[in-house]
Amino acid sequence: MAEIVLETKGLTKYYGAKPALDHLDLRVPRGCICGFLGRNGAGKTTAIKLMLGLLAPTAGSASLLGCDSTALTPAIRQRIGYVTEGHRLFRWMTIGRLEEFQKAFFPGQWDSRLFADMIEYFELSKKQKIKHLSNGQRAQVSLALALAPNPELLVMDDPTLGLDAAIRRQFLEGMIELITRQGRTVLFSSHILADVERVADRIVVIDKGVLRADCSLEQFRTSVRKVVVYFENSAPADIELAGLLHFRRSERQLELTLVGVGDAEVADWARQAGAGRFDFVEMNLEDQFIEFTAPAHRRRLFQWEKA
Amino acid sequence: MALWMQISSGSETPIYQQLVEQISGAIARGELRTGDKLPAVRALAAELVINPNTVARAYTLLEQSGLVTTKTGSGTFVSDPALRQVDAAQINTLAERMDTLISRAVNLGLDRSALMALFEKRLEKFAGTLDKGKAENG
Repeated sequence: MAEIVLETKGLTKYYGAKPALDHLDLRVPRGCICGFLGRNGAGKTTAIKLMLGLLAPTAGSASLLGCDSTALTPAIRQRIGYVTEGHRLFRWMTIGRLEEFQKAFFPGQWDSRLFADMIEYFELSKKQKIKHLSNGQRAQVSLALALAPNPELLVMDDPTLGLDAAIRRQFLEGMIELITRQGRTVLFSSHILADVERVADRIVVIDKGVLRADCSLEQFRTSVRKVVVYFENSAPADIELAGLLHFRRSERQLELTLVGVGDAEVADWARQAGAGRFDFVEMNLEDQFIEFTAPAHRRRLFQWEKA
Repeated sequence: MALWMQISSGSETPIYQQLVEQISGAIARGELRTGDKLPAVRALAAELVINPNTVARAYTLLEQSGLVTTKTGSGTFVSDPALRQVDAAQINTLAERMDTLISRAVNLGLDRSALMALFEKRLEKFAGTLDKGKAENG
């Protein structure tokens, strides 16, 4: 496995009595784009802030580029880019002034040409003040500021939240552009699964502060699957199958959502359960994510049980 | 780039598989011919805005199926059909896939002649490549 550039060990954060993050153990290897997934309130922003040393952990630790997050030196910080949720930038500054301000943190590695090119491409001017920009334009400035120092590790907290499709695509292009330079790594959180699928080769999934998956995107795509099993008479009442996430039942059908269950195991189970036949249902990443993070005994939202 | 590709994200089909299908389709239809060079991994990744590892994975699969060969340092090229190794397992997989399509056709109510006519019509798309093969063999 490639060198690990971002790692957490038992990373835990309590707000009051409740854990926002509960013993998170994850490892991000160099050279990948890692999509950081989780529902609202799952703990993604907390995890990112802990990784960057902006919050102190209740227990456990995080490290970036081999350096503990609570003790990041300026020399290490200089190799890391961070884009905050909502692209908070100093409102009173002009784009040009903001560039000078940021540049000071990255001595000797600021790509002024790239920054100028991007600002021009976005049809902005360095004379414009941040407070006069739209949300989308502010995000574009934020993207240019993130890429100009050519960071070794770029961490972005939901960078495309609320942005239109064209600006979202620019963020994806920016990530691909960075990753094609040798040894660069990106971690970004997002709720747009189609975007994640496009650019990520690894994903981390957390749910209610707990790590649920840390694997290649392909592994997740092949592991989470749905199978419809047909029975001649009635479907069995009890289902014992390791890897079963949840199921739906109708008279002569069972719809099983499985994780990490191979074709042969499904076939064995179906034969033992007396099933007639079964079909795998193809799922896209969004469906897989919804199924994977759904509570075990969930009801559908708009479904009223008949008494 | 002579090759025109369209990636759809959010699809049930993984992106590397979409690439494999589109490139092997282009080879079968003769849009890509023996010796043609595929775009460099990074260039194609940047153009399609997808992860370079996804492109590399697709190229590896195409190479494993014998459709392309990679020459270290110079790139990935469409291989010579005469040199492609086809094994029984690949033929078997193909036959199973055909079964899926035939059962759909049967369920739609098509009879043997209608199905054969449809098959012939679809083959026209691949005429350039298919007939070229016949000429060389014969």
